[in-house]
Amino acid sequence: MKTKQRLQWIILTILGIAFSCSEKPQPYEPTPYTLDIPDYFPTQVNIPEDNPLTEEGVELGRHLFYDGRLSGRTHRDSLMSCATCHIQSQGFDLGLGNERFPDGQPIGLSGVTPPHYPLPLINLIWNENGYLWNGMIHPSGPDQSKTRLEDLVWMGVVAPHEMAGDTNRTKKLIQSIDGYPALFEKAFGTNIVTMENINKAVAQFVRTLISSDAKFDRYMRGEEQLTTEELSGYVLFTTEEGADCFHCHGGAGNPLFTTHLFYNNGKDREFTGAFEDPRDRYHITNDPMDIGAYKATTLRNIALGGPYMHDGRFQTLDEVIDFYAHGLVWSEYINPLMHHIGTDGNQLLPWEKEHLKAFIATLMDTVFLNNPKFAPPVQFPDGTTFESQQ
Amino acid sequence: MKKGLHKIVILLIMALTGLASSCSDKPPLPKPDNPVLMVIFNHSVNGEPVVFDQMVYENLAGNPYLINEIQYFISEFTLHYSDGTVIEPVIWDPFHYVDTDLEQTRHWIIPDSLKQGTVDQVTFRLGICDALNASFMFVNPPERDMFWPEYLGGGYHYMKLNGKWEPASGNYPNLPFDFHVGRGQIYENEEIVSFVDNSMTITPAGEAFSLSNGDTTTVVITMQIENWFQNPHVYNHDVWGGYIMNNQEAMQIAVENSHDVFIISREELP
Repeated sequence: MKTKQRLQWIILTILGIAFSCSEKPQPYEPTPYTLDIPDYFPTQVNIPEDNPLTEEGVELGRHLFYDGRLSGRTHRDSLMSCATCHIQSQGFDLGLGNERFPDGQPIGLSGVTPPHYPLPLINLIWNENGYLWNGMIHPSGPDQSKTRLEDLVWMGVVAPHEMAGDTNRTKKLIQSIDGYPALFEKAFGTNIVTMENINKAVAQFVRTLISSDAKFDRYMRGEEQLTTEELSGYVLFTTEEGADCFHCHGGAGNPLFTTHLFYNNGKDREFTGAFEDPRDRYHITNDPMDIGAYKATTLRNIALGGPYMHDGRFQTLDEVIDFYAHGLVWSEYINPLMHHIGTDGNQLLPWEKEHLKAFIATLMDTVFLNNPKFAPPVQFPDGTTFESQQ
Repeated sequence: MKKGLHKIVILLIMALTGLASSCSDKPPLPKPDNPVLMVIFNHSVNGEPVVFDQMVYENLAGNPYLINEIQYFISEFTLHYSDGTVIEPVIWDPFHYVDTDLEQTRHWIIPDSLKQGTVDQVTFRLGICDALNASFMFVNPPERDMFWPEYLGGGYHYMKLNGKWEPASGNYPNLPFDFHVGRGQIYENEEIVSFVDNSMTITPAGEAFSLSNGDTTTVVITMQIENWFQNPHVYNHDVWGGYIMNNQEAMQIAVENSHDVFIISREELP
């Protein structure tokens, strides 16, 4: 009898172990995202050790990037996502003519306008010099809670001039939407939605937004020739006696078409009192040479249209080219690379401006602008769609 | 019998503890067999460390000027020993980039392939010689941002020295100058017909120093900025203006003035 009882216990124990094994969740094994570094592009990438790119993380990030419920709201009039102001067809910038913000000036859900115009989300995986116009989001920046691309996500959620929400509300709402917990499980090994994992997923998606297939890229790869006008424009772009754009905006040797550094490019003379911008580079570094200095933006897809500059003062590329040709304003703080200030600009002739513009147009990357991997998901995990939120 | 077993166990624990603690007391790291040389790059004007962004200097041409930033490549760094030995220790990674905005670039540890002895002289090249100055060899910043446009010869700037000067006349109290040197161009009828290797072989003046096995020796190479603008040629910003990348005549002045721009010493400036 005792032996029979023992045998029963052993069988029950084995069954118990077997049953409990079948209940265990699948092991967390996300698929590493394959990142192809294009020819001539930097090999050093800005990916934090604690947020490697994974297929699952990028896909979750794509959903969250486009889902207006990231704002923590469900009413159609109150939805806002990253994609509200960073639109793929506009080079992940806002651009002009947007139905919601026609003049290119975004307005936050609280009715407040941002201190600066948006910057495009292009090739940020190679940005080592801080985010936003003044580079404040950087490990060397003034606020150690805002150092990473990841931090821009929660900052966007809480900023009054953006989603004007709070992170608890956002994560609770995302947690409650059918299908999202499963996507978090796949991406991060837990179905509990945290703001940090929201930050990480969106940052992963943004890091995949790589533009490397403009006409100029194909020219560099020997796949396509530039026209005489475009080549003439490129010479103007890369010569000091021409337009001298390359010192700040790159060229063949720097295909990002930005150094990601900060320059006072001669837009203004006054920087005190009502003219002081508490969000210029000076307010990050306290270096007087940074007064009125802002990040040189990438020129990829810049030909799509304005608004241009940190304050959106120019609407068209022609206006920008005219500014650099004849409209520079001297101040003590103008960057030394702006050596054409002595003649108020580079004094390009009309035909030179046209050639320069033709070259800048070769930086338009329609493959990037139409890449389905960067587009809204067909539907969000609960079956609703991006289109239904518009 | 039981007491004996206890003793053995206690002895065993003591022995193991002793072993463990002796393992945690790591012996000091052995000194490197070869000498180590650390080079610090300094920048001065008139014998004092440069003060950036202040219009406190005046060159021999009488131009008041300020310095904003300096970026340059050092290559072919070579040690000439008193016994006649010549060692170019960084032959496989031959370029060092110095940027006054990036403090870490001012310190360079020469790889551990030196021999001990007295070094009478150091030579190096400011910039990169034509044979090695190939476009696209640097794809990452900060070196990447030194690229020299293909139209002007390609490769990389040897040096960017950016500042401002007070012009003798004009509408503005000061103007920027970009004293940039790289591959030069020869023009005929406004067309470029050939290029010029402007990279400069530098023999900085200074006393001999010794390298000893197992020791790190630090030397300081100082760029005397004012000398770019004098001896033998007085460089006048009012004449040459704000930019010289496509002006071989101006870059040639830089080349010929470079001979006494650098000095080497064992001590840093105060």
